[in-house]
Amino acid sequence: MATDVIARRRVPARARAARGGMRGGDRGRIVRLYLPLALYLLFTLIPFYWMIVFALRPAGSTAPVPWPITFEHFETVWNDIGYAVFFRNSVIIGVLSLFLTTAIALMGGYALARFRFRGRTFFMVALLCTQFIPGAMMLIPLFTIFRGLGLINSLWSLVVADTVFNLPLSIILMSGFVAAVPFQVEEAAMVDGCTRRRAFFAVVLPQLRPGLIAVGSFAFIHTWNNFLFALMFISKQDNFTIPVGLSYTIGEYSADFGALAAGGVVAAVPVVCVFAVIQRYLVHGISAGAVKG
Amino acid sequence: MRSISRACTAAAAVLAMSLAATACGDDSGSGEGQAAGGKTTITFWDNNGGVRTPIYQELIKRFEQANPTIHVEYVGIPIASVQQKYDTAVAGGETPDVGGVTTSYLANLTGQGALEPADDWLAKSSLNGKLVENMLASVKQTTPDGKLYLVPATSNLDVVWYQKDKLDAAKVTAPKSWDEFFTAVDKLTKTPDQYGWTIRGGAGAIFQLLAEAYAYSGVNTFFDASGKSTVNDPKNVELVAKIAALYKKNTPEADVTNDFPKMVAQFTSGKVAMMHHNLGSYNDHVKAFGADKVDAFPLPVGLSGKRTVVANPVDGFAVFKNSKNKDAAWKFVDFLLSKESNSYWNQQTGQIPANTDAQGDSWLAERPYLKSAVETLGSPDTVVVSPPYYLPQFSSITKADTEPLFQKVLLGQMKPQEFLDTMAQKLTEAQEEWKKAHS
Repeated sequence: MATDVIARRRVPARARAARGGMRGGDRGRIVRLYLPLALYLLFTLIPFYWMIVFALRPAGSTAPVPWPITFEHFETVWNDIGYAVFFRNSVIIGVLSLFLTTAIALMGGYALARFRFRGRTFFMVALLCTQFIPGAMMLIPLFTIFRGLGLINSLWSLVVADTVFNLPLSIILMSGFVAAVPFQVEEAAMVDGCTRRRAFFAVVLPQLRPGLIAVGSFAFIHTWNNFLFALMFISKQDNFTIPVGLSYTIGEYSADFGALAAGGVVAAVPVVCVFAVIQRYLVHGISAGAVKG
Repeated sequence: MRSISRACTAAAAVLAMSLAATACGDDSGSGEGQAAGGKTTITFWDNNGGVRTPIYQELIKRFEQANPTIHVEYVGIPIASVQQKYDTAVAGGETPDVGGVTTSYLANLTGQGALEPADDWLAKSSLNGKLVENMLASVKQTTPDGKLYLVPATSNLDVVWYQKDKLDAAKVTAPKSWDEFFTAVDKLTKTPDQYGWTIRGGAGAIFQLLAEAYAYSGVNTFFDASGKSTVNDPKNVELVAKIAALYKKNTPEADVTNDFPKMVAQFTSGKVAMMHHNLGSYNDHVKAFGADKVDAFPLPVGLSGKRTVVANPVDGFAVFKNSKNKDAAWKFVDFLLSKESNSYWNQQTGQIPANTDAQGDSWLAERPYLKSAVETLGSPDTVVVSPPYYLPQFSSITKADTEPLFQKVLLGQMKPQEFLDTMAQKLTEAQEEWKKAHS
């Protein structure tokens, strides 16, 4: 089977076509594999296409292609709606939450994977259970706590809240990554004279790169997209984030689809870039973290 | 060496971000009302942030010029989440000094004791006697103690927007009666390129449907003398059946899930000739077609022969009880409702000013649909039906409870009679509960 696949890959399509067109196997492969994939891709990409069309075509146009191209909607969202400020705020809370989540998840995950302590199972179950609590339920208690701490209207409230909500899944994922690194490797380093901390940094940490990337990207994207906390804990125009800015484009009686689409493009670009860079780590990372425990 | 350098870079980045996050902290002490540089700061929450932001920015600039000792901090709240934002702020004790509020959620806010009545301020203000009386009455009806917790700023009216060239091409004039309306819808339908009408089948469908039903039936109250809801009046049922019969025949099939952005998008795409919405979407239509290509007429006159209008929620401003600078807050409200400010605001949004002096401004006369709306609302022949916004369940009954039922009606899975009977029963029960609680 494997040989067959390799052999087929080596024969150029043009040569095969010259020998008498597609074989039954090729057709079957197209119908079974490529056609469903192409349909799925269309299903996924058409909304993106429409978003780009709406963002780039003039208001009032119904053309299916963005021609003539206009950047007026981008100017509206960036200058009039205030995306320049919202974007900066989203980057700040996204990056801080990324580092905090990754650092704490690394420590928590290591402890769960390497140590057997009383209440470990209960702690794991509790972490899982927190995933069932919607953010909206915690809104007023969190609001009261942040108010007491003087964090209302501060970006730190978003960093703390998002990090806390990111942590349970991140710790569970990270413990899976740490467990996948054989303890004997760490022991060998310690036999060679390393302290536990040194062994961790020298031997374990480099092997956790896919995990760090998976957890960090998960934290960044989750924080980047969080609308509820950004609106509820902030009541200062200059501290709002991108998701709040997006919702500005739909008013009570009117909707600016061009601005909405342009805002969507601006909001999606960092997430798409993050995915493009880390997708191979992410897939490997999540599967590795998910199956080891 | 490389990894140390990377770690240093990362640490520097985090430190820089931390400093930036701290710099973006709360330095205003929102709600505390402290003086900043000798100025009193008040916060103002716009309940429809985004579209209106530039209008308020201009008005705030004018206000601060006229009142150099007061600084207004503007916060735009997206309309879809405004009620949740207010509820969270009230629960957390972090309300603004002044907020944009509508009668849709006024009862909820006054129920939590969040607002300050404005009766005394208004009595001493130059605005006294200058605001539209039926709007003031509508606000007072919303709260059990009959006080004025919200000062109205704008009036709205349900209208039918239409593309002039499409009606001209079909030799149709703006319909005045419902028979003319249904004939016009038929004439304007040329499927699949053009539909005569569009139905709001998704979020917000019920209010529009009720506005059409009461306009058709001419029933003039939401509850009869015994407290029974009138929404299932036979004539209302007749209208719902007629509207449902238009679905797919004269309207796009996607209408069953239409919320207002989709409905407006369909209209502005040019495929729909007429659409029921309110004055508020004026700017979208002008942007899509140009001011000379689009016009509006009020919902047609019904069987009673009298124009019957279901009152839209009243939009205005409220001073919050938690405010440390209530006088400065009222000063701002007073400024926003002055002839000049109120006129400017409504001119920009395409709605009717609540200040009667502003209603005489020339820009109103230049827009025929708006002039006709002012005349309709001001006419002694117009019957205004006030929906029971004071019922805490009104919003859930007309949204979550009955919107899916109307979709069933459109899809032919439920009879209009059954749909309206269900809604009437829920409204009657809610009214009974409310009466018991306030007797």
